[in-house]
Amino acid sequence: MKRMTSHRQAKRMDEILGEFIAETLETLDVLSGEVVAWEADPTDQSRLDAFFRFFHTVKGSCGFLNLPRFERLAHAAEDVLAAIRRGERGADPETVTAVLAIMDRIGALSRNIAEGDEMAIAEAEDDALLDALAPPAAVPPPASAEATLSHAAEIAAAPAIVLPREGTDADGIDTATGPEPLRAAGRGDRAPRTIRLPLALIDQLMNGISDMVLARNDLARKMREREADPELEGSFERLSANVADLRDMISKTRMQRVDRLYAAIPRMVRDLSRELGKKVHLDLDGGDVEMDREMIEMVVDPLTHIVRNALDHGIEPPAERERAGKSETGMLRIVSRQSGNQIVIEIADDGRGINRAALVEKAIAGGLLTPAQAAGLTDEQKLQLIFHAGLSTAAKVTSVSGRGVGMDVVRANIEQIGGVIGIESRVGFGTTFTMRVPLTLTIIPGLIVRSGNHYFAMPRGNVVELLHQNSAMVTLEEIGGARIATIRGEPYSLIDIEDVLGLPRTDDQRGPRTLMVIRSSLGQPYVLGVQQVESNEELVIRPASPLVTADGVYAGMTLPDNGQPMLLLDAAGIAQSARLPLHEARQPFAGGKEARASARAETAQALVFAERDGTRRLIPLAIVDRVEDIEPTQVAISDGRAFARIDGRLFPALNADGIGHETADEPLKALRLHAGREVICYLIGDVLDIIEVPMKVDVALNAGRIAGLVMVGDGQLEMIDPFALFAEVARDAVSPVPSAGRPRPIRCHIVDAHDPWMTGILAPLLNRAGHDVSFGPLENLPAAGETAAPDIILCADEGVPGAAPAPVLRLSDSPQGADDGGEAVYRYDRERIMAAIVSLTGRAAA
Amino acid sequence: MTDNLFLFARIAGTPIAVRASEIEAVVRLGDIVPIQRVPPHVRGLAALRSRVLTVIDIESRIFGRPMKVEARPLAVVSDISAHTYGLLVETVSDICDASGGIQPIKGRIDRAWSPFTAGLVERKGRSHLLLSLADFVSTPGTGAKAA
Repeated sequence: MKRMTSHRQAKRMDEILGEFIAETLETLDVLSGEVVAWEADPTDQSRLDAFFRFFHTVKGSCGFLNLPRFERLAHAAEDVLAAIRRGERGADPETVTAVLAIMDRIGALSRNIAEGDEMAIAEAEDDALLDALAPPAAVPPPASAEATLSHAAEIAAAPAIVLPREGTDADGIDTATGPEPLRAAGRGDRAPRTIRLPLALIDQLMNGISDMVLARNDLARKMREREADPELEGSFERLSANVADLRDMISKTRMQRVDRLYAAIPRMVRDLSRELGKKVHLDLDGGDVEMDREMIEMVVDPLTHIVRNALDHGIEPPAERERAGKSETGMLRIVSRQSGNQIVIEIADDGRGINRAALVEKAIAGGLLTPAQAAGLTDEQKLQLIFHAGLSTAAKVTSVSGRGVGMDVVRANIEQIGGVIGIESRVGFGTTFTMRVPLTLTIIPGLIVRSGNHYFAMPRGNVVELLHQNSAMVTLEEIGGARIATIRGEPYSLIDIEDVLGLPRTDDQRGPRTLMVIRSSLGQPYVLGVQQVESNEELVIRPASPLVTADGVYAGMTLPDNGQPMLLLDAAGIAQSARLPLHEARQPFAGGKEARASARAETAQALVFAERDGTRRLIPLAIVDRVEDIEPTQVAISDGRAFARIDGRLFPALNADGIGHETADEPLKALRLHAGREVICYLIGDVLDIIEVPMKVDVALNAGRIAGLVMVGDGQLEMIDPFALFAEVARDAVSPVPSAGRPRPIRCHIVDAHDPWMTGILAPLLNRAGHDVSFGPLENLPAAGETAAPDIILCADEGVPGAAPAPVLRLSDSPQGADDGGEAVYRYDRERIMAAIVSLTGRAAA
Repeated sequence: MTDNLFLFARIAGTPIAVRASEIEAVVRLGDIVPIQRVPPHVRGLAALRSRVLTVIDIESRIFGRPMKVEARPLAVVSDISAHTYGLLVETVSDICDASGGIQPIKGRIDRAWSPFTAGLVERKGRSHLLLSLADFVSTPGTGAKAA
């Protein structure tokens, strides 16, 4: 009995701690909006009181909950605020910053406790924050005071952005029962009546309603099959309307006010404008508009990025503004409003506007545009260059390693959630970004497309246009294997859904096929051919299992009203898996030249980089995961092998010779290369460019790490052989492949068309050895003996199911796996792979 | 001790046991909508009222050959990392306590089974191979080690 009680007490204690954490985070959320107002008028007693009350509450609860660290921080801040209230001390900016730093630390610690990682921030780090609280007189000379300040600002900046994402949502959401906004709570106004509900309960409710809708549809179908009964139908109509209302109401519980999105912005603007030495007045409007809470989370990053850009590049320093005849203080205005089933968020600044000439110049310098093309651009097209992936070459490729940076990433993020982003800018008067995003993530309008008896959904936002294949506006052609649909003189890459998904062609094609012009975040639109577009429905989208989405062609799943599960297609994933040349690397505004489209069909992107000794080389972009800035101290050599430490993990590193403290000044970057599970770092000097190169190297060399030469402009660059790099790391002897030169190339068939190692590393290797390579599941292969039948089938360790039409070579990813089975070959043993291919196909090596 | 509660079923003629805590329900599935471009053991999608199950063919995952499926196949419903799966089984015999708990494997187990089994559970004098359902939706071995 006694044990039971103590157990119950412990549980109660956990609950109290959980509540304390949730409340603390919630209050912080509310207060962060008040910070700037307080700083503008430090004598504002009511705000000062709100902050004082916060620290006081935290201090009080901490003693009870035995959280000495919180207590120490809160106590110190409370003391300072008390002194300010008594008028013994002024609320100068340094003091305010120091108090805010304490607030942020309390927030960070609360989140750490919630995640069960209390020691994520060392306790000793609190001392610097507490020192900063000391009265100005006690602070040593100005130089170091500034250092403390910027340090505090640095700590402050990061959590302020994360706040709205990790607030109270983790375990529950607040459901407002009254029309009053939540933000009033901080000021002692009457708070709205709210209750906390676990999120799971809301989701269950939502599921229950969906079940009800399905049952209703089923009933409706059965009623149609019977004789009409007006009385019964009347009752059914009423029930049906009630179910629909209920569904709408439940959907509303998922909605949250845009205020949540705004919460972190005042603080960020304050910190950033101080850092940049600018004066900015922030105006937030439309915080009462409601959005799906998941959608709010998706919009946080793009919004943050645009605001940062506006402060950094848009709004001018005070002196420059005065010279331009503007008020010293810049204006940043963010407005949200609902428009139909979309939320529109506008971010407007009155800064210097976007310099088109500079954009165009950069685009020309980057090889995106020829000067002639640039001359033909409209103003709108020039502005759109800002969203261009190609424009963020070299310098910005590096920063991708951090959070999503670059306007191309912002656009991609917005489009990913079915939104669009627009821009208006007047030089000298400012820039306005307009984001339009759907109200909810979970219900999207979609087109149901059919191929045989397979049905798929495509988000309507991705579909630009639907045409029949035999329309007079369309001409289809096939050139060198590439299929092109020219619609009103504009050529598009054409793929059929059956080819993407490996579906059989159906015989029951009545009437023409439908062509869908698809726009994805990747770049140029393409055309997807389907048997038929069936209908247009509002679809409730649920996440699909990683087993299903791993391949990239599916974005989620949905259960339409007919009760048959269906997969949602991923417009960008389809283009990628079909390897359509959609990147706008060369021709952002290409005219109607079919030849160009087909020429690009056989190219791939490559990264131009400078080795540590300055030599310029190429590496296929597909295997570069990211580019990292790296310090020489992050590289360690152990037992003759080099490793790079990145984000707390060690990766095998190449090119680490001579790195140490004496090379501290040498510019150093790491290319993180991946091939499925393996990741290695290739240390380089700098990233220079991204260019399109032919799939096949112009001159093949099989010399160590170099695959061959590629002609670039007037010169030629060496292309790195990724196979050699991975093999080197795998510590296997690498020797040149036996020379090709057989009467007919060996046809190698790779079953796992989606394995990056197979496609990105093995296939090019086989190609260079003079073999032909094909991909796809076994079912689609011609039988043995037919002319196009493969000579050998290559697969991963698991082998292939069923009978294969040709000898099978298994490639194991560990040397042990290769040894104990006997019939498998270790995949980095180039010599044995080549020998096995030759011996299994029954032909003598040349 | 709910830790000793197991579901006893059969896959490819072999008696197996699954911890009851891993299981949400055992149902007969309706139509399975096949999916393209997924690993062979992903049989497709099936609707269970308003939920959508990803149907996993355990036999195919183990032996690389698809299980012969009758009209309304039996499936064990399980929530694994926030997704709901239906894992196909041949028959289900019982859900009951196994007082003996989990025993180490005796004898040399078939290579196909070995990545998926963590022990034996005895019921009515017969041994059942203990499987962890999470193994069939992720890389082999991870679930068994975690248990």
